[in-house]
Amino acid sequence: MFSITGLLTISGILFVAGAAALITRRNAVAALMGVELMLNAANLNFVAGWRYFWPERLDAHVAVLLVITVAAAEAAVGLAIILNLYRKFGTVDLEQIRLMRG
Amino acid sequence: MYSLIWLVPIVPFAGFLLLAFAGRYLPRRAVAIIGPGAVGLSAAVMLLISGQFLAAPPAGYAYEQTLWSWIATGGLEVGFTLYLDPLSVVMGCVITVVGFLIHVYATAYMAEDEGYSKFFAYMNLFVGAMLLLVLGQNLLVLYLGWEGVGLCSYLLIGFWYKKPENGAAAMKAFIVTRIGDVALLIGLFLLVVQFGTLDIPAILAAAPGAWAVGAPAAVAAALLLLGGAVGKSAQLPLQTWLPDAMAGPTPVSALIHAATMVTAGVYLIARLHALFALAPGALLLVGIIGAATLLLAAFSALAQHDLKRILAYSTISQLGYMFLALGVGAWTAALFHFMTHAFFKALLFLGAGAIIHSLRDEQNIFRMGGLRRRLPAVYWTFLAGALALAAAPLITAGFYSKDLILFAAWVSPVGNRWLWGAGLLGAFLTALYTFRMVFLVFHGPERTAPHGRPGPAMTVPLMILALLSLLGGFVETPADLGGVHLFSSFLGHALPGLAAHGSPALEAALQLLSTVAVLGGIALAYQLYLRRREATARWLARPAPDAARRLLLAGWGFDWLYDRLFVRPFVWLATVNKDDSVDAFFRGLARASLLLHGALSRAQTGNLRWYAVGFALGVMALLAIVVFR
Amino acid sequence: MTHAQLTALLPVILLAGTAVALLLVQAITRSHRVTAGVTLAGLAAALVAVTRALPQGATPVTALLTIDRFALLYTGLLALIGIGLTLLSFLYLAGRTRLTGAYYILFTLALAGGAVLASSAHFAAFFLGLEMISVSLFALAAYRRDDPAGIEAGMKYLVLAGVATAVLLFGAALLYARYGTMAFAALGTAIAPGAGDPLTLAGIALVVAGIGFKLTLAPFHLWAPDVYEGAPAPVTGFIATISKAAVFALLLRLFTQVHLREHPALFAIFATLAIASIFAGNLLGLRQMNLKRVLAYSSVANMGYLLIAFLAGGPAGAIAATFYLTAYLPALLGIFTLLTALSGRERDADAIADYAGLAWRRPVLAAAFTVLLLSLAGIPLTGGFIGKFYVALTGVSAALAGSPAFWALVGALVVGSVIGLYYYLRIVLAFFQRTPAGEEPAAITRRVPDAAAIVLTLSTLAVLWLGVLPGNTLTLISLLVEEWFR
Repeated sequence: MFSITGLLTISGILFVAGAAALITRRNAVAALMGVELMLNAANLNFVAGWRYFWPERLDAHVAVLLVITVAAAEAAVGLAIILNLYRKFGTVDLEQIRLMRG
Repeated sequence: MYSLIWLVPIVPFAGFLLLAFAGRYLPRRAVAIIGPGAVGLSAAVMLLISGQFLAAPPAGYAYEQTLWSWIATGGLEVGFTLYLDPLSVVMGCVITVVGFLIHVYATAYMAEDEGYSKFFAYMNLFVGAMLLLVLGQNLLVLYLGWEGVGLCSYLLIGFWYKKPENGAAAMKAFIVTRIGDVALLIGLFLLVVQFGTLDIPAILAAAPGAWAVGAPAAVAAALLLLGGAVGKSAQLPLQTWLPDAMAGPTPVSALIHAATMVTAGVYLIARLHALFALAPGALLLVGIIGAATLLLAAFSALAQHDLKRILAYSTISQLGYMFLALGVGAWTAALFHFMTHAFFKALLFLGAGAIIHSLRDEQNIFRMGGLRRRLPAVYWTFLAGALALAAAPLITAGFYSKDLILFAAWVSPVGNRWLWGAGLLGAFLTALYTFRMVFLVFHGPERTAPHGRPGPAMTVPLMILALLSLLGGFVETPADLGGVHLFSSFLGHALPGLAAHGSPALEAALQLLSTVAVLGGIALAYQLYLRRREATARWLARPAPDAARRLLLAGWGFDWLYDRLFVRPFVWLATVNKDDSVDAFFRGLARASLLLHGALSRAQTGNLRWYAVGFALGVMALLAIVVFR
Repeated sequence: MTHAQLTALLPVILLAGTAVALLLVQAITRSHRVTAGVTLAGLAAALVAVTRALPQGATPVTALLTIDRFALLYTGLLALIGIGLTLLSFLYLAGRTRLTGAYYILFTLALAGGAVLASSAHFAAFFLGLEMISVSLFALAAYRRDDPAGIEAGMKYLVLAGVATAVLLFGAALLYARYGTMAFAALGTAIAPGAGDPLTLAGIALVVAGIGFKLTLAPFHLWAPDVYEGAPAPVTGFIATISKAAVFALLLRLFTQVHLREHPALFAIFATLAIASIFAGNLLGLRQMNLKRVLAYSSVANMGYLLIAFLAGGPAGAIAATFYLTAYLPALLGIFTLLTALSGRERDADAIADYAGLAWRRPVLAAAFTVLLLSLAGIPLTGGFIGKFYVALTGVSAALAGSPAFWALVGALVVGSVIGLYYYLRIVLAFFQRTPAGEEPAAITRRVPDAAAIVLTLSTLAVLWLGVLPGNTLTLISLLVEEWFR
């Protein structure tokens, strides 16, 4: 259905979109979402590789599963930290969380 | 037994560490035991090892012990290695034994000093460094010892730091010897670059193959090494520091500036004799420097009135004899004189210390006199030392060693009559100034009353050294006086012997000549300074002799010369460059760094999103590099 | 699984098992001492297991890990530093918080991740090990819930590390797409020396970016100062030592198969990163007032130096780099020990001003601290000097062997070291400041607990020993690393 270039382009766009989300949004949770998007763009890459280049191998499947699992764990920890962030700073606006600099 | 050699330098270092860190908290008695004890232990081990060396020498008459691997890179392998051969045995024994006696003496001499433990800490450090110098198997260990003794010399000359002149003297010693040290360092680099190793045995073995006799590289290396030796051994033209170094306590003068450190130059040339053999011009220069220095210093000693300065100039002069011997290829004779000189010069210094101590720091011989009745032990031991220094015939060690040098100067294929003549004149002058000193200090009317007599801690070392000064020469006697060759045959396994030999008749004739010179000197001294003292003083007050006397007193004006030639222009340059034009470069660097720091620091905004942008930019930069490369 | 594989894997199993054991212990008792004790026991057991596994040769365990002597060396190193850090954590946590169990669990998991990283031979293991360390560290950095700086540090670390991981994975996926494998060895043989197709190049560049983040290489270092400053002192110690060492081990392993110098693009990337890190790290540290930030910038610069040895390649480069790390880790451990020991309840003793006058009040501590700082600066008689010497040596040898670009690298090393010396000496200078009596900073009067004193002494002695008698250690490292290149 898609060509390999197409899939890679899409994953590239998703990746950049995730990065953009991270950079432009001030909300910490939104930043996390951006990271998740980037991780899934990478997953898409694995799948593209499997589909078009190495259909007999199963490495990509395993890799994708690993990534999804670990991303979930990371998100869990991230949300816990954001909770604490809110408790301490009263906000999750990243612009206002700049105690350390220089 | 040989494997214990590492103890010899390490024990004094351990003594230094102990006294440096804990000396303040220890009672004086403990310090007095630790200080000399460390050196004494070292001496005991050294003597035991030497005994075994004599009885059952190791293969090839050499023993090496590597303590650890210091530098091990692909191109250069240097271990912390000690080397035992007849040369280092002789040096090590003299250093430890004489050092031990001086340490014992110092326990009484420095008894009232508040820096008691500091003193012995430095002295131990010195002995350790000196032993590293002579026991080092490679040039790096030797250089470490070389620098170490230089440092200790500085610390000990300026020991009584509260008087600024002492600090100035210490500085002068350090700076002048530094000039020599720089030459030495460059010479070492030359050797490393040429031979790819710092091991002395390896260099000595490879040198004849790598360099032809008279090759420019060999001459350069030899001259540079000579530069270092000249600095440390206070020979022309770097001899100006030694008389001023007498500002240090007398045991320091005895140990460092008479018996050991100043002989480091002699050791260096003897150890690297193969290199000098490849540069006959340099070797001749060694001899000429030795001859010139011995005469110059002997004349200067004649005019001094400070007891220690007489001995200082005398040391310079005797070192000149050793250089003279090296210059004519008489390596063994030089070391024989080193050994006897260590005995009698240390003796003389310690005796002078005893005198100065009981006269409450009076050092002017013209204010002394008649002390032989009040300080008999000092008198007789001092006399023994003086006789040895003057090379009084037959009964003193000094006679045998000086005679060996003079004989070598005459018969050696690279010697010549001028050098011998200088040595002979020097012998006359030595006897003259030595007995001038003896007569003025011990005979005649008493001008300053001594307080008390030195105790056993001071007199016993004096007596031991007196015995050695008298009997130490019998290990090497000329053919017509017994033909004992214990010393030269022992050293012959490490150093080449003298190429030519003269007939016993020639030897006897030369001995007669030197005996005449010596006795003549003593007789003249007797006349001038004992019998006709007032007449001598009146003659010296006349304009011409007085001018000559003042020139000699100032050491032939070298200090004045160096001041005009080097010190003043240098100080002028430093003052003119006060704002430091060269430093402008570094200040510019500093300012640039701070600017860049400011710029980069502004990138650390603390803003998370900004960091993410930075990361993204970095990724893009990498991709760009990858794509465009 | 064969017996040999089990023996080889035992250290990792023990480390992970300790984490599980700690979980169980939490169910029985909340005692801090018991928890720390179990952790120490587990780490010590892992260390013993490392020595038992050494005699075996390289043992592939599943397709993901290859446990050879190199991996075991690093695992052992990590375990040793880990023991020191555990003691530090014990001292730090006691009295600051009651939730101590979770800390040690995360700590041990992170160590296990480090061990996995050091042994990984496959991108999946790389990813797993990396995430084990990272996720644990996010939580550890934000551990003190009452400290806003810590939470901010955790947040920043989380987001940025997430980005880095994503970039890394993207690159790994591109490589997979091109070559069909994620195993290092296979990739090494598959990537032709002059490979220039976009997938390969982009893939490698992205992987390097991801690794560069973890190693605080410029320009990926922006997170380091804030995270170092905000995290609790022992956690900063962990980030500075263990995670760096583990990732570097992985870097060595990954790129040893791919001969870097023949690949101009790869060489260019790493050379740029090295020079940028050296300069950025040294310049940024110049006016810092906070000790932890100084250490962060110092680590940026030190990673730059390490890259020079890495670039030189071959056994010599790997040995030099490993020795450098071996000297670097104890120095950092010692400094963090002091930091932790002298910290107060409310805030860590991380300002340079906290140490004003240390030399007059506690001369021994000041002396030890100075030795450690001088080791980081690369002054002779310390392990840091020998490390830098060997790095410079490999750089110069490489330059003479035909890669003139190395002259620029070695030049950067020299200039950078000179610039960097300034901020180390500034700290030493602070020790000698004379403050009027009564205005002394509280930090320097605190009593140093015995455990911390022991760790500090051992670290300082290690640094001095490596500086004065490096021979034995070098031989050991050579033996363990050489096997790799046969």
